[in-house]
Parts: sequence; structure tokens; C-alpha cells
Amino acid sequence: MATNTESVDLVGDEAATNLARAALFAALVGAFAYVSFPFPVSPAPVTLQVLGVFLAGIFLGPVWGGAALVLYLAAGALGAPVFSGGAAGFGELVGSTAGYLWSYPIAAALVGAIVHRGAGLRDLDAVSAPVLVGAMAAGTVAVYAMGVVGLYLTLNLTLAEAFVQGAVVFLPAEGAKMAAAVGIVRSDAIAAA
Amino acid sequence: MTLSYVPGDSVGHRLDPRSKLLVQVAFAAAAYAYTTPRGLAVLTVAAAACLLAADGGLRDLWTYRVALPFLLVAPVVAGATVGAPWFRVERATDTALASYRVLLILVVAAAYVRSTPVRESRAALQRTVPGRPGVFLGAGVALVFRFLPLLRRDLLTARAAMRARLGDERPVRDRMRIVAVAGIDRAFSRADRLGTALVARCFAWNPTLPRLAFRRVDAPALAFAAALIAATLVRIA
Repeated sequence: MATNTESVDLVGDEAATNLARAALFAALVGAFAYVSFPFPVSPAPVTLQVLGVFLAGIFLGPVWGGAALVLYLAAGALGAPVFSGGAAGFGELVGSTAGYLWSYPIAAALVGAIVHRGAGLRDLDAVSAPVLVGAMAAGTVAVYAMGVVGLYLTLNLTLAEAFVQGAVVFLPAEGAKMAAAVGIVRSDAIAAA
Repeated sequence: MTLSYVPGDSVGHRLDPRSKLLVQVAFAAAAYAYTTPRGLAVLTVAAAACLLAADGGLRDLWTYRVALPFLLVAPVVAGATVGAPWFRVERATDTALASYRVLLILVVAAAYVRSTPVRESRAALQRTVPGRPGVFLGAGVALVFRFLPLLRRDLLTARAAMRARLGDERPVRDRMRIVAVAGIDRAFSRADRLGTALVARCFAWNPTLPRLAFRRVDAPALAFAAALIAATLVRIA
């Protein structure tokens, strides 16, 4: 072990709890990658990852929600099996899925900023359903726009081809995710938020 | 089977994690700069050498099977056109090369994941990113590794409970909601307990890390990374 002779600089209570929540949410988004639902219209099975991104913004707010997704990317790059299908490694961050992955922190911060109207947190019961849906729609646009641009850049496709391959086949399931997310935010089971 | 750290004593295991990270970045840059048949042939040999140096094999690549359909379909989508000549070979070839380049980058990443334990990755991260952001990233990444299996099991339990109650017959959005509510609820209660425990155990901004040092075995890896970066710069300039 390296020796350290400085005095100990303690992390405050609030920061420690926020860090724990951000880390646990990052792990939860990773765990969501393993839960796939066959979806009638979509050829690919649908995982809950993007739902986790929206919920990180909604429950943790723009700052810690975005931070949670940064942790998710860092952990995945260093080998935690958190990317879709249990993949891991730095290669995913510069490969064909790069656009989607890099968009996650931005989408979480965007959803959080719209829902909470700024950097602070406000009571989720005070947020109306249209605002929630609007925020998630904006998040979806951010994820797929960056995902399609990522495909365009990494696979030398044209934008139209990338859109067909990377967005059209996945978009139908996003509606179901938004409906689920509204139900989750309105659920009484989650007391900690 | 998922890709994960496997203890061992190969060259890859003995390297400093920072040199391995540098090799990955340099390799990705070179793969993007030299997406030609000849360039990728050379890089294929390099990628295979990286994987062998970490004692890895084909079974480690199985984890990337999810990415494969995407990479295989891309050239077909790129080549197909509406109207004559229906399929343009040169467009398909371009995209096939790009797909293959992604595959090579994944192979090198697999070598890193296989040969680097979590605590070394964390130390590398904390020593590379200075100050409190580095501590946040390091501690957070370690916690993600620690809690991922627990949260996966929470979700599986919630899903099994839902199935036992004929929840499979509900619409997809209800099933997503049930599983996600259970997952978030468990994650928050774990996070709050963890936060209290961290404070109680004097969680600090300046923790003691495992020692990291570049050794003689790192020299070839660093030289390899430098060569890749130099080759990339030559191509761009």
C-alpha cells in the first residue's frame, strides 16, 4: 500500500449519501441491461436501460443523475459488465454503440433539468404528467439523435441508413417505457425519493 | 458467460493498468486512422497479441455476441439501394471495414477487462483524474462493481415473483413498471444504508490506494502505444 501522511479529509454526510445513490443508480442501470422484454412490434428485445437513464434524471436530479451515468460509463469502460448483453470494456465507448452510451449522462441531466426546472430538486408529486412525458420525450430524442450520429461516424453509414438501423426499430418500445416511468414516479412504493 | 477479471500471471496481468489503458486508447485511434484492408490486417495481429498476452482466448469474446448482429447487418444496409444497381459493393465494403475495426477495438478491450482487477482500475482512475472528481469516480466505480450482482439478483427476484402471480399476462408497460419499481426501491434502501455506513467508517476524500508503479515489463507496452499514436499522427498530418 502507498503511505499517506496528510490528515484525513472526511466526505460530508450529504455528499456521501449522494455518492452512494449515484453509484447504486449506475449499478441499477447496469442491472436493467439484463432484463429484456420481448416486444410485439420491435425485432430486437427491449431492455430497461434507457428507462433507467430517465429515472436517474427524475429521481436524482440533473447533477447527480448525470453523475450517476458518468459512473456507469466509467465502470463499464473499466470492465463492469453493465452494457447491453453484459458487455464491458473501453471498446464499447468508441465502437458502434458509442453514440448511445455517451448520450446517457446528457439525457439524464436533460430529463432532470426539465423535471426539476433547474439544478435543485423539487417534490415529484408537484410535477405534472405532461411535464414528465415531455422531459422523457426530450431525453429519447437526445439518446437516439446521438446514437444515430454515432452509427453514422463509426460504421460509415449515411444518416438515413443509420436512422433505419439504429432508431426506427427501437422507437416503438419507447412509448411503453415512458408509460412505465410515469407509473413508477406515481408509485407509492418508492419512499426514498 | 460474461467477460470478467480472471486472476493470472500473464504479461497482461503484470502490466500497470495505466499502460493498458493507454494502449487501448492508442489502438482505437490507430484503428480509426487506418481503416484499410492492409491497416486492419496489421491491427488484427496486434489485437490477437494483446488478447494472448492477457491469457485470453475466443471464449472471452463471446460476451460481445450482442454487438455482432449490428455489425453484420450494417454492411448490408449500407450496400442496399433503391433502384439499380440494388446493391453497391464499394459502399458495403467501406462499412464492412468499419464494422471489423469496431470488432478489433472490442478484442483489445477484452484483454484489459480480463487482466485487470477492480482495485487496480480504481487506483489508475484516481491517480489519473486529479482531485475530488477522481475520488468520486474511483469510489463510485468500485461501488458499481460491488453492487451490480446484488441489484441483478433483486431484479431477477422481482421478475420471478411477478411470474409466479401470472404477471406475464399483463401488458409490457405494466411488467416494466413492476420490475423497475422493485429494483429502484431496493436500490434506494441499499444506497441509504450504504451512505450511513460510509459516513460511520470515516469515508474520506483522500483514501489510501494500492501502490501503482511502472516497471520494466511496461516498457514494451508503452512503446507499442507510442508507436500507434505516432502512426495515427502521421496519417492525420
